[in-house]
Parts: sequence; C-alpha cells; structure tokens
Amino acid sequence: MAITERPTQSLADLVMDDPREFRIHGTVYTDPAVFETEMDRVFAAHWVYVGHTSELPATGDYKTVLVGGQPLIVSRHEDGQLYALYNRCRHRGAVVCRQERGHSNFFRCRYHNWVYANNGDLIGMAQSTGYPDEFPREEYGLVRVPRLQSYRGLLFANLAGDGPSLEEHLAPVRRYIDYWLGRSPMEDVEVVLPPHRYEYPGNWKLQAENGYDGYHGNYVHLSWQRVLQLSKEGTVDDIQQYRQAGCTRGLANGHGVLERPGSLNPNASWTARMMERYPEYAQAMHARFGDPEIMEISARRNIFVFPNLYLFDTHIRIIVPKAPDRTEVQLYVYNLQGVPERINESRLRGHERFYGPAGFGAPDDIEVFTEVQTGVHAQGHQWNLLNRGQHRERFEGGEWIGHTTDEPPQRALYRQWRRAMAGD
Amino acid sequence: MASETAGRDDVERFLIAEARLLDERRFDEWEALFTDDATYWVPIDPERASPGGISIIHDDRARLHERVYRLTKTPVLDQNPASRTIRLVSNVEVDAAPAPGELTARSAQLITEMRPGGPGQAGLSAPRWFAARCEYRLRRANGSLKIAMKKVTLLNSDEPHYNLSFIP
Repeated sequence: MAITERPTQSLADLVMDDPREFRIHGTVYTDPAVFETEMDRVFAAHWVYVGHTSELPATGDYKTVLVGGQPLIVSRHEDGQLYALYNRCRHRGAVVCRQERGHSNFFRCRYHNWVYANNGDLIGMAQSTGYPDEFPREEYGLVRVPRLQSYRGLLFANLAGDGPSLEEHLAPVRRYIDYWLGRSPMEDVEVVLPPHRYEYPGNWKLQAENGYDGYHGNYVHLSWQRVLQLSKEGTVDDIQQYRQAGCTRGLANGHGVLERPGSLNPNASWTARMMERYPEYAQAMHARFGDPEIMEISARRNIFVFPNLYLFDTHIRIIVPKAPDRTEVQLYVYNLQGVPERINESRLRGHERFYGPAGFGAPDDIEVFTEVQTGVHAQGHQWNLLNRGQHRERFEGGEWIGHTTDEPPQRALYRQWRRAMAGD
Repeated sequence: MASETAGRDDVERFLIAEARLLDERRFDEWEALFTDDATYWVPIDPERASPGGISIIHDDRARLHERVYRLTKTPVLDQNPASRTIRLVSNVEVDAAPAPGELTARSAQLITEMRPGGPGQAGLSAPRWFAARCEYRLRRANGSLKIAMKKVTLLNSDEPHYNLSFIP
C-alpha cells in the first residue's frame, strides 16, 4: 500500500496511529515549523531532564542547560535548594552566565553589572541612583522556572506551571528507574564528569527512536560484534542470539524500554556475574533486596523517559535539540554507589570502548541518523513505517509489550508526541 | 647542542612519517610503531593531566589493537566512506629523557578531514579541521623510535563532536 497523500490539517496528523500501519511523516525530522512547535509543545510543556543532583553537590555549584532552545541555569543556593533560572538579565536581556558549569557566589550581568544571587534574587545594580528608591528589586530577580523537581537524584525542569506532576509523568516508567538504581545496593548513582558529547547533522528524534531499537544491532553493530569476537567475549552468533532475547515495552506518556532478560545465573546477567565475582557486592545486594527483586534489577534495560532522557547501564544520556537537523547528545557516565571500585572502573572502561565520538559503536549509530536525515528529503513516498510487530504485540498492565526487535517503544514515543503537537 | 639537534630532527622525521601512515590509512604499520606497553590518549578535559572518568580515547595496547582491527577488518559504517585526512605536524620540541632510552616530544598538529559523498548527504563532503597539541613518550629500540605514549589534546576536546573515528 503506497500512501503518499500529504497531511493538511494539524501537525498531529504527521503521526498516523493506524492499527495495522503505524507511520510518521518524513517532515517530522526536517520541517522548521515542526521543530518550532516541538520546542513549545514538547520541550516547554513537559518535564525535561536537566541533570543529576550529584553534579551540583555544594552551595554555589551551577550548570547551564538548553531546554527547548532556551538558556537556563540550574544552581544550588546557600539555602541548600536547587533553582532553575532563566539565563536572561532582567534589564537588557544578556545572559548572566556563559560557562557550562562551575561554582560562583552570584551571577553578574557583564553589560551593566546587575548582580543576582544563586536563587535569582536581584542583589545589586550598578549606579542604582538611576532608579527611584521605591524600585521593587524583589520583582526583578532572574525569573525562576515554575517547576524543578528531583526523582531520586534525577532532576527535571518544567517550563509550564500547570500540567501533570512529575509523579504523574514518571508513573509508567518509575519501576524501571527503580530497578536501574537497584544495581547499587545504596540505590544511588554519582555522575562522573566530564560527559561524552557528540553532535550530528540530524533530528533529535532519531536518537530518541534508536536507544531502545532492538532491530538495528546485528547490522549497524556487526563491526562491534566482530571486535567482541576478536577479544573472545562471545562469538557473533552468540551475540546475535542474545539480541533476540527479552522484549520491548511501549509505555504511557511517551516512555519506552528495551529489555534483556534478568537472571540470577552468573553466566546470564551482568549483575549476577558481578555478585559472583565480588562477594562484598553480593552481600550488600542480598541485604537490600530479595531474589525476585534482584532478578528484575539484573535485567539489562535501555530506558527512555520522554522527551529527552535515556538511562543506560553505564550512562545517563541527554538529548539536546538545536535545530531540525542538528542535535547534541551528552553521555554522563556514573558510578554505582556502594559497589567495589573495580566494578565501576570496568563499567567506565567498557563505556569508553563503545560510546563517545571515537567509540566502537556509537559513531555507527550516528552514521545512520544522518542517512535518515538525508533520505527523508526524497518524496516518492512520504511516510516512515513504525509498524514492526503491531500484529504480535500484547497490551498488558498498561504497557505495549513486543518482541525485542519490534517497535512498541517508538510507537509510544510518537503517540505522546502526537498528543503534545495537537495541543491537547 | 649538536646531538640534541640531531635528536630533534630524528623525532620530527619520525612524527611526519607517523602522520603519513595515518593519512595513507596504513593502520597496521601505524600500530606497529607502538611499544607493547603503549597508551594512546585523547582526553575530553584539556586541563586534566592524568586520565580520570572517561576520555574520547584512552587505549591501552590491547584496545589500540581492537581500534585498528575495527578499522581494517570489520564492516564499520562510520568509516565507510573513509575519512581523507591531511595532517600537518609542526612546532616539534624534544625534551630530556625522563627514563633511560626515552625522549619526550611535543608537537602541534592540524588535521583536515573529509569524507566524500554524493550530493546532499548529511555529514559527508564537508571538510573539518582539528587542531591539537600532541605529547609523546618515545623509546629507542634497536636503533629505531617507538611510541610508548601518545596524547592528543584537541583544541575543542570538550565540545561536542561528530564522528572522530579516523584516529585524531
């Protein structure tokens, strides 16, 4: 069936939630009007991940981020609280902070020396006699982002004052976040700076669609599989068989998961292998969790939290859209707290091997993103298919669950995207 | 003074030859320039003196071999089409040996890189430039130089990068 008609109504019609042929229009990746609307209706109207609390442990620590293209500062004030502030002087609009991260007692606009505290309060103006005595300084602090909230260290900002709470937004994916944290017997992680950063000439959703895609691995990462075979970590056949196991999950609110089976057998899961290798780790895990929980924790998952966050076994990934065809991706590795140092050291070395701009796997993914970005300019057909496994998925416990190579998570992503873009 | 100059010329010739092996994608021969205990390091943080956390590249000898194996023997996407590179090596300085039989060398390099492609292909056909400061620990063995340590600090090491798999 060739479907070539052009959608004419709303941007929501760029996603066809057809029960047999779920599909998306190619312009979701290329159209500047779509991108502008996304910044507004997706990024400025959802809980967007901005960092981990371990990045900002001390009073005066700050980092700057882009949320939907808008410059923000996330800062720890002397009251111990974190604040998300619009990075724009109230006077003439200059940014008050230009560094990626650092430590400062205040933010000063360099244009006319207006000075703001770490919570945004206006605490000084140069030559202030130019303003009347009754000038209400308290009304001219850096504007605070309406909502900033942490879930177990994961810090989310919401530029909209209304809409679902963070609890409501995360509810469908929360148990997977908890299992992800559970590999630490303290259920805590600590980010290790600096992050890997890469940027590609392609749309942000190409990265979002790929992190839980269980279909591409045997083709895009055949090279990686051959490296593993060289190092005797598994034959290409073994690895390709492993890649058939597990499932994909499309969750409500746009979240999604790629999952490999958990196991208490050291030969079948990383967690069980580490517990066998390091008795102190096994002891700490058993003190905290029962076997059924360890079974769940040991399942290896790539977890996507709509719209810009991935949780991987080695890193926290942030997707930063910069233009319809330009995206930055940041990979923050982290240490699992309360585990032997050698476990974390080997996790970081393993991460470095696959990821980053010179890793043995990630650059191959980036390569195909650029190929899609180029391909969708061809107009012979206008729709990309995301219907793989629609005939064999099942709906259970509020989740669409499919074969590990199927596309339920991608469909979940675009269902939420469609709702957002419709302005619902 | 005369012997130091000879040492510097020696090292400069060696670094230029190394750059040519990479430009000509003779990766196996390039790998053979490294000692068995060698490291190859491309940090993210330009200020950091020793590796901590992660790097763009932090290869021990085994991983360096994997890197070369990947480029030469496996179906990579990110180097297909392959990068063309021209490497300029300059500002070579050679310092006193920290250990017997070893030299420390510093250089500046500028790599111009491009992957050819058809019309309109995102990510291809666009030259990129990578300036870097390089540090080497070189060891004389059987009359020739070997690389015991190579560190490449890119000018924009902590900025986001598109693929750097061409060996910076």
